[in-house]
Amino acid sequence: MIESLFVLSPTGKVIIEKHWHELIPRRVVDFFNDQVSKAMAEGEDVTREDVLPIIASPKYQLINVYRDGLTYLSPVTKEVDPMMVFEFLHRIPDIMQEYFGQVSETVIKENFVTVYQLLEEMMDDGFPLTTEPNSLKEIVPAPNILNKVVNTLGATTSVSTRKMPHGMSNLPWRKAGVKYNSNEIFFDIVEEIDAIVDSTGKAVSCEAHGTIQTNSRLSGMPDLTLSFVNPRLVDDCSFHQSVRFNKWESDKVLSFVPPDGHFRLMSYRVNLPSQQNLPIQVKPSINIGANGAKFDITVSLRNTEGKPVENVVLTLPLHKSTTTLTAQCNVGQYMFDPVGKILRWDVGKVVPRERAPVLSGSFGFGSASSEAAANAGYNIGVEFLINSHSLSGLKVDVLKLFNESYKPYKGVRTMTKAGRYQVRA
Amino acid sequence: MADFIKQNAGRFFANNKKGENAELLADLNSEYRDRRKDAVKRVIANMTVGKDVSSLFPQVVKNMQTEDLEMKKLVYLYLMNYAKSNPDLVILAVNTFVKDTDHINPLIRALAIRTMGCIRVDKILDHICEPLRKCLEDDNPYVRKTAAIGVAKLWDLDQERALENGFVTILQDLVSDSNPMVVANAVTALAEMQESSASKDVFVVNVAIMNKMLAALNECTEWGQIAILTSLADYRPLDSKEAENVCERVIPRLQHANGSVVLSAIRVIMIFMRYIRNEDFIKSLIKKMSPPLVTLLASAPEVQYVSLRNINLILQKRPDILQNDVRVFFCKYNDPPYVKREKLEIMIKLCNDKNIEQILSELKEYASEVDVEFVRKAVRAIGRCAIMIDEASERCVNVLLDLINTKVNYVVQEAIIVIKDIFRKYPKRYEAIIPTLCQNLDSLDEPEAKGSLIWIIGEYAERIENADELIENFLETFLEENSQVQLQLLTATVKLFLKKPAQSQEIVHRVLQTATNEIDNPDTRDRAYVYWRLLSTDPQAAKAV
Repeated sequence: MIESLFVLSPTGKVIIEKHWHELIPRRVVDFFNDQVSKAMAEGEDVTREDVLPIIASPKYQLINVYRDGLTYLSPVTKEVDPMMVFEFLHRIPDIMQEYFGQVSETVIKENFVTVYQLLEEMMDDGFPLTTEPNSLKEIVPAPNILNKVVNTLGATTSVSTRKMPHGMSNLPWRKAGVKYNSNEIFFDIVEEIDAIVDSTGKAVSCEAHGTIQTNSRLSGMPDLTLSFVNPRLVDDCSFHQSVRFNKWESDKVLSFVPPDGHFRLMSYRVNLPSQQNLPIQVKPSINIGANGAKFDITVSLRNTEGKPVENVVLTLPLHKSTTTLTAQCNVGQYMFDPVGKILRWDVGKVVPRERAPVLSGSFGFGSASSEAAANAGYNIGVEFLINSHSLSGLKVDVLKLFNESYKPYKGVRTMTKAGRYQVRA
Repeated sequence: MADFIKQNAGRFFANNKKGENAELLADLNSEYRDRRKDAVKRVIANMTVGKDVSSLFPQVVKNMQTEDLEMKKLVYLYLMNYAKSNPDLVILAVNTFVKDTDHINPLIRALAIRTMGCIRVDKILDHICEPLRKCLEDDNPYVRKTAAIGVAKLWDLDQERALENGFVTILQDLVSDSNPMVVANAVTALAEMQESSASKDVFVVNVAIMNKMLAALNECTEWGQIAILTSLADYRPLDSKEAENVCERVIPRLQHANGSVVLSAIRVIMIFMRYIRNEDFIKSLIKKMSPPLVTLLASAPEVQYVSLRNINLILQKRPDILQNDVRVFFCKYNDPPYVKREKLEIMIKLCNDKNIEQILSELKEYASEVDVEFVRKAVRAIGRCAIMIDEASERCVNVLLDLINTKVNYVVQEAIIVIKDIFRKYPKRYEAIIPTLCQNLDSLDEPEAKGSLIWIIGEYAERIENADELIENFLETFLEENSQVQLQLLTATVKLFLKKPAQSQEIVHRVLQTATNEIDNPDTRDRAYVYWRLLSTDPQAAKAV
């Protein structure tokens, strides 16, 4: 069980402090900050993300999660399931994102009343209670401009007539009596590709992680059955609470009564074979000489069924002894960060059958560690986005509606983008 | 408009001037409700940044009797923080709490009982029992589930009182409640209490309770599921059929997005698997467990870390899981170092003759990374694979030779250490590479690496033309060497002598003399004496050794 929570700013200052059991003194935060500084001073390449998520101190185990600049620190004194703590700690910025649109020190300070109320609802006595956004929104109102204006001008918010949580229906995720004029439901399939591609262009490992985000604007209590063209593709999947697991096991269809509004219907993973034709091919060639190297990188498209690939960005971290870099490219812009030694090429949109983007140039090493630099491996991180395309090939087939008499409008959108995608040079 | 709002919200954190407390005091007593609310917010803001606002206790508490839910929550927040320093004043608030547990709004009832439980002062104990009992039997499930946790809080403060008043029994009954959330919270509370109870009979899972928990499993929140699964793991099934049943009902939990639910489910299945006799069923369970474990590896690095450590343990028990999924453990270049270390460990565990080719080329890539520690581990991994898999050892050795050719200092040294181990496992197989190794003698400065090369020279002295020259080379710096190296040199020199007595007579004599006379380390000296005796009395016996 979680005993306390400290939310720290990028500089290590306490923004939020909450205790569910004994008050744990702030000294523990100082200790934590010291450990972080020590860890980062150990090596030149060590970043904040590299610090161990569980640090031992004489009295506590400091479980911490670093996300978007903020640290969520939870010191524990007793044996606890670490996975539960991590999942919960990650849930906090997730919820804050839902409520406020972004998470930062300023945003938290502006909305600390809501944040404290949320933390109260999310956890009691150290046990997580409710973290589902729909349920929380019923209990803790999300701030919107109207609310804020009302509060600042001093008017009251009528709270005593608030509805009870979990509505009147039998299902905890959907309240009864929902009504819309036009009944529609939208499915957004977003696939992220994690891959390691070797220097010959072959995929060493490649997986697609997809989520189906749904926005349901349907009246009453609709009972839906969603089927796919090729459901056997899916290697592993996890569903929203409302999906009937048995139907998936037997018929491979999703049978569910959707919650109202936005929710994640399903997450899936497809393991793609090595022979998989990747849509984007990055051909790097780095020739290392005595004091430096010449390089060129070409980007070409394959197999996108004619669709353009957008938001293509290549990131190449160079050896820390790299001194100068010159380059030219025919498409997009490049930028070299001389402190972090990272080369970033923003290619933008790549359209098939137009000339392939090429970046070429040279960089030099300082004399000190040229030997290590000469032997270092180079990895290029790739980002991209392809609309209306799914790499795994999973396709929505038919949506059937039971229990209601209207005909719903169904919209499906697909998108593939890069997850942790790297190409070895 | 947005700026105006931002300004006003941000000012709660404005710098404190002297006398601000006085200002707050005035505002807290204001006739205007919104002024008071504003003041309470400022008080909380000050509390957040560590300023002392305890002197304002009575004024803040006065504001508790209000219909405004937000205001109530803020006051409760303040109360919980300072109750320990001002217990007498807390009692002032107690009447409002008790009244609130009868409030028409269930949210407020729940809030009251929850906050009462959080105030960890003995004085509150007298007042909490009746309201708690009422709330445990409340109509509204939200109130009941909050009260369930309240029992755990009471237990924490005073176990005897909780027992005397029958709360434990009421809580045990709540496990059969109709609402799954109440069941989940009751289970969580009971499990917590069980841990700290002396008699360990607070929460004993029997068949009836287990079935109730399984029934609630599908319908409560993810956190409730974790509590139920964790408690299930303590149950010992009576026979194989029962174990199979439970596993069947737990399997759907593997498809949950929350990593903790997945791991808890796996824990239950792993424990219950021990009681199952049906081999086919076990195989199907193992097949079902692999995909969710793999999916966990696509999450945040901390979650990956915990998953990897767990996978390590699972593999020790059931090495056949994840056999074909080695690719997911390949390291991305920007994984944090603690994740890479774990992935490497698992890659080695999963290595077999079918995937060794792939793994080797991965390990070779890792050897060219920037992080020195990681590179060393990768090279050692190559060695371990060679030793584990006979057929692959030749390929491993070739990879190691390639790495030595890169001439990168730490890679070469690590490779030589590893090659020594390979030689020990497969003696006389790879002698052809010895000349290459000897060429790299000069780049060795680490004691372990030097020691390894010396061992090789000693062991294969008969194959090495200039073995005596090489040993001489080392002997020049004998006295400055690390003791580990000295020991190796001693042994190697003696071996050399036994294999090529003519050439090395003088060397041996010199070494033994130096070792026995000039070295302080008793181990080294004694070893030298032993050798000397051995050689002088019976060279044949020495050879046998």
